[in-house]
Amino acid sequence: LCRGGLAERLCRLQNRERSAISFWRHQCISDDRIPSDKSGVLVVKILEIFEECTIQVAICQQLEQSPATLSPEDAVISAEEPILKVLFTRETAAHLRSRPQDVIHIYPPWQKLLLQNADVPVIMNTYFSQKVLLSEHSEAREKTYGLTKMLIRKNIISLAQTFRLDDLDDKLQQESSDNQVPCAPQTHNSSDSKQHPLALSAVNDSLLEMVESQGAVGWREVQVRVTIQRVYCLPAREGYRSHTQGNKPLCARPVTNSDPPNVRLCLLVQDAYGMFSEVQLQFLSSTDDIEQYCRRWEGKSCCLAGMKILQRTTRGRALGLFSLIDSLWPPVVPVKVPGQSQDSEMMTTNLPPPSFCYVLTVQSGEIHVEVDEEEQISNLYQPPAVHDLKEILLIDGCNKRCSFWAQVLYRRLQTKHSVPIDQREMLLFVTDSTLQDVAHGIPKVVAVSVTASCVLSMEIIEALSAGSQLVFFKDALWGNGRIICVERTVLLLQKPLLCSAAGADLSELTGPVRLDELDSTTQASSVCALRGTVVGVNESTAFSWPTCSRCGNGKLELCPQDRELLYCNQCSEVVTTPVLKMQLEVFLSCPSRPQSTVKVKVRHEVSIALFVLLTLLLFLQTYEVQSVLGKEVGLLNCYVHSVTSHPNCVALEEIVLL
Amino acid sequence: STLPAVAEELLREIRKAFQETSHVPDDLLLGLKFIFGPSAVPALDLVDQRSVTRLRSPSGRTLYQVLGSSGKLYTCYSSCHFCTCPAFVFSVLQKSESLLCKHILAVYLSQAMGACQELAVSEEQLTNILLAEEEHEG
Repeated sequence: LCRGGLAERLCRLQNRERSAISFWRHQCISDDRIPSDKSGVLVVKILEIFEECTIQVAICQQLEQSPATLSPEDAVISAEEPILKVLFTRETAAHLRSRPQDVIHIYPPWQKLLLQNADVPVIMNTYFSQKVLLSEHSEAREKTYGLTKMLIRKNIISLAQTFRLDDLDDKLQQESSDNQVPCAPQTHNSSDSKQHPLALSAVNDSLLEMVESQGAVGWREVQVRVTIQRVYCLPAREGYRSHTQGNKPLCARPVTNSDPPNVRLCLLVQDAYGMFSEVQLQFLSSTDDIEQYCRRWEGKSCCLAGMKILQRTTRGRALGLFSLIDSLWPPVVPVKVPGQSQDSEMMTTNLPPPSFCYVLTVQSGEIHVEVDEEEQISNLYQPPAVHDLKEILLIDGCNKRCSFWAQVLYRRLQTKHSVPIDQREMLLFVTDSTLQDVAHGIPKVVAVSVTASCVLSMEIIEALSAGSQLVFFKDALWGNGRIICVERTVLLLQKPLLCSAAGADLSELTGPVRLDELDSTTQASSVCALRGTVVGVNESTAFSWPTCSRCGNGKLELCPQDRELLYCNQCSEVVTTPVLKMQLEVFLSCPSRPQSTVKVKVRHEVSIALFVLLTLLLFLQTYEVQSVLGKEVGLLNCYVHSVTSHPNCVALEEIVLL
Repeated sequence: STLPAVAEELLREIRKAFQETSHVPDDLLLGLKFIFGPSAVPALDLVDQRSVTRLRSPSGRTLYQVLGSSGKLYTCYSSCHFCTCPAFVFSVLQKSESLLCKHILAVYLSQAMGACQELAVSEEQLTNILLAEEEHEG
């Protein structure tokens, strides 16, 4: 044996164990009583015994206390007592000579193993076991049993039952003769793994039937015809990938969903009975265009076959999914009623909204979804109902899905640096003509929160960083006065082919965008416009820095060759005319909110009017606060950082609208 | 049947423990002894000696070869429990006394601890190895 190897170690452990066992056995015999140390002792009553290889498997009931007070005859198996599977080696079993109804004490050290798909825990290393004889009667019985040999059933294990050590895929199901129809997702029999194209049976129209036939003979050939109501992407639960590309700062690059893929394409389908199911398809990479799939597939019919059930979920556990299902309820055409024959005329639209939904997935390696792209749109399809923002703000209720067009004016990324960039939440400030053209009463701009679970395509992300965009928000969630984009919300740049537009077809806004003016109702994390007079300057927060005129890099370095010049290591060139950026906090007095101290963080490039002056002053080092005080500042667009009442202060930051 | 699930779970725990700590705790080793009996120590010895090789052909077919203590090379299949050693024939097939022989157990343990040697072979080579076994038997 290798010195220091695992085999040598096990040898030593085993020798130690063996001497402990023989010592213990010896002690039991000589003492002729149960050892008094009760801690850690497992007390079990044997219900059934069988053998597998040389291991004896005993199905037992764990007893709470020492059964000195109970007699085996009248102990009834109660439902609360936990069931265990206790394994004994051949040698221990021979020593115990157990029979059903025997009570065994198992002394530590024993081991408990919990199996993945089973409820019953397994007890191993049961060397220190002793049978407890409770009464005269049983002692006598014990002696007679010693003469007759009990026949114990032996299970023969199939060679086809191999072990799967990695967690990623499902375990191979065993080929045991007692096959039950599983209700939890299980993979197919190993005999089915020969993949030849199966002759698919006639097309069914019931998802429920397909789901219920899982596990039965021929279930993989069952095809179901459904309508695709929605196409969207879900973030894969297996994890996310963070991206740092070399030394480049994260904010300079658009967020990507590049390899390995971490986004799944999903369909929300509905069958002829009105039942919904979410089908999870393949993983997408960043080059795949979700918009294409939406346009080609939504509203069309497709055939599903050989689906695997991932989950049966209910309204209480999947609020997001059911808010989407509710937006598609009731169905636009009458649906079939189960229980009637296929040709029956019994159809209805008067059904309660669904309370459960199956989540299906494809068997790995096989695509069982065939979409009839050429065919017409199905009657059952309900395109997203488009509203304008004014209508949406007036919607009553919570967790309602809504779709709308809006112009994105400003984007604010969540600034938690601990979170990787593709997991960050965003706040988008949007508007449309219905909000802009109204005198007062409704806000001019609405904040839309985009959570990390809402998958954005690369196209959208790039578009949002580039400039003001008209974006279609499909199936966003409205509730508690906020619009949020969550899982199953899709942001698109182009209009979907079919939309029932309740309002006018929104195009360009007439005139420049206006923000609500700062007033007493202004809240944090919003945008507003303000005007006022400079009453003070926070000199301690003022600083300026040079940036590269080509790429905007704020971290310029001194040139190694000529320390008078600046060097940009992103462009790998000398910067001859750097752009000076400045940041400063000024205190304003605003007539629209006279009681508050208004503190605005401004930047040089943003506000030319005020800062050409300040720049010159600071740059020339002849800065005097006096010369700036009293200057009028006209309509700045700002983002509100915080609003406090004691002290009465509003902290803002000047922004540029897209 | 219970034993295969127990054996599998034990091997998974070994794999997990090894991945997390590069070490197999004593209780898992004793568990191996409990379940696999006399095969446990010889199997671990085969792992210590890095005796297990996984052969892979371009089509993705795999096969294991284990260098036995006597110097003989035994072949173990990937898709079911099978080994060309006499102990397998006797203990597993004939008497159903063991789940595995020490070579198959060594294959699993090597998988769990990343101790498999990897060898890429051509389709023809893989086929020859399989056929050679048949000839040897026949």
